[in-house]
Amino acid sequence: MLSLAHLDKVYPNGAHALDDVSLDVGAGEIVALVGGSGCGKTTLLRLVSGLEAPTHGEVRVDGEAISAPHPAVGFVFQEPRLLPWLSVAENIGFGLEHLPAGERRDLVEEALLKVGLAGYGSRWPRELSGGQAQRVSIVRALVTRPKVLLMDEPFSALDALTRATLQDHLIALWEASQPTLLLVTHDVEEAAALADRAVVMQPRPGRVFADIPIALPRPRDRLSSGFVEAKRAVLAALDGSLSQPIGGRTSSDSQAPAGWW
Amino acid sequence: MSDMPIARKTTARMPARSVSARLGGGFVYGLLLPLAAAVIYEAAFRAGLVQARLLPPPSRIGETLWKLASSGALTTHVIATLLRVGLGFGLGAIIGVMLGALTGSSTLARRLLDPTLQALRAIPSLAWVPLFILWLGIFEPSKIALIAVGCFFPVYLGVMGAIANVDRKIVEVGRAFRLSRLKLARRVLLPAILPDTVVALRSGLGLGFMFVVAAEIMGASEGLGYLLVDGQQLGKPDQILAAILCFAVLGKAADWLILVATRPLLSWQDSFARSG
Repeated sequence: MLSLAHLDKVYPNGAHALDDVSLDVGAGEIVALVGGSGCGKTTLLRLVSGLEAPTHGEVRVDGEAISAPHPAVGFVFQEPRLLPWLSVAENIGFGLEHLPAGERRDLVEEALLKVGLAGYGSRWPRELSGGQAQRVSIVRALVTRPKVLLMDEPFSALDALTRATLQDHLIALWEASQPTLLLVTHDVEEAAALADRAVVMQPRPGRVFADIPIALPRPRDRLSSGFVEAKRAVLAALDGSLSQPIGGRTSSDSQAPAGWW
Repeated sequence: MSDMPIARKTTARMPARSVSARLGGGFVYGLLLPLAAAVIYEAAFRAGLVQARLLPPPSRIGETLWKLASSGALTTHVIATLLRVGLGFGLGAIIGVMLGALTGSSTLARRLLDPTLQALRAIPSLAWVPLFILWLGIFEPSKIALIAVGCFFPVYLGVMGAIANVDRKIVEVGRAFRLSRLKLARRVLLPAILPDTVVALRSGLGLGFMFVVAAEIMGASEGLGYLLVDGQQLGKPDQILAAILCFAVLGKAADWLILVATRPLLSWQDSFARSG
């Protein structure tokens, strides 16, 4: 459904962010991209979104090549990035401008209800907490009903408790329309809590290191042995990806292990 | 804008009391200092403590103002001055916003135009006066040109800087939602630069009042600046002070108008000044 074929990305400054990354994601699948900093996971997400173009290779959604932001692909940024001059309701409706006002209002109301922010529609973004703002930003992307939702470490700025709550929220939202979800994270627990598959990436240049299926039923119990086992598997792969001597590269590249935190 | 109905609801939600308190309450506080100074000086004058030949007491300034007002002369002078400021500021601000938007949004335009404009900015605006008089004559056009030049630069700089400072991350949201260039400008860039643009317009207007005085001192038969020169030549300090008072009131009122007119558009701002 979402297919990345031989993606290469070299930035104008010579940084080699991605090297021959291929990945196939099925419809409705949740894939977590896990990796240390500098492994190109954010770059990968931006290529899929069409915000940046790959140097080589291509991204296809249902067979259609992505070369610029596409209506079938939604993006949730690391920060909420709400427009401060629009009310919460207007922010959610930002991508719905083409719809008639009544229909837009209904969709926005429904979205607010779904994320537990009913009655918050007329507030300004500055009046929201970090967790609330990120919830608004998630429904802003979801309300246009994208087939693919991309999320770039959406919960990394939040405290652990809020993060766990929002992860549950996200799964509830996802279940309603079941978009394909590609989620970048550096949090192993987050990958185990959300994903059907964890794709562990290796830095300098970014490549796929391991593809770990997480076949746990939802809702997931974070204390179950299966969950702990999944976390351990992802963590082990992550450790492997960072300590693996990189073939043909100088040893100065292996400063990565300290950096991924 | 099609988002408007929701926006109106949002502003209406603001309690009316706090708005009136911010306008009315602040107004009273602001008057305390000048009124107290006037009362003290008046008292000192009545008690014979000060020599009033060069600094007439408030009562005499008020009397002069009243005479000017009742003869209709004050209205003529005020209208002449406001017309010049209005036309000059309007002209300078419009060109400033347009050129600032151009150089702010296009690197090519900035490289081509900005160095020249910065060099022109380095010329004291009053240096243009002889040239403007030669080109445009001694009457209104040369005065308005001078005011327009004075207003242009702060507006131009402010708008250009505002566009350059728009958060790249917010612009990217617009791109992710596939906004066309025009829609990106209308729905993202325009609201984002509005606060800085208002500040730029206010400083431009302030300079407008500065240059209208310069223009009127150099040669005019009416206007508040003319009242200043006339008062100096005929030794009437009360008339000079009356004109100065008018400038203070008009300048403050014009600035306040910009603030009030743009406040509904800026009520979203999350800044230190709002919380005060």
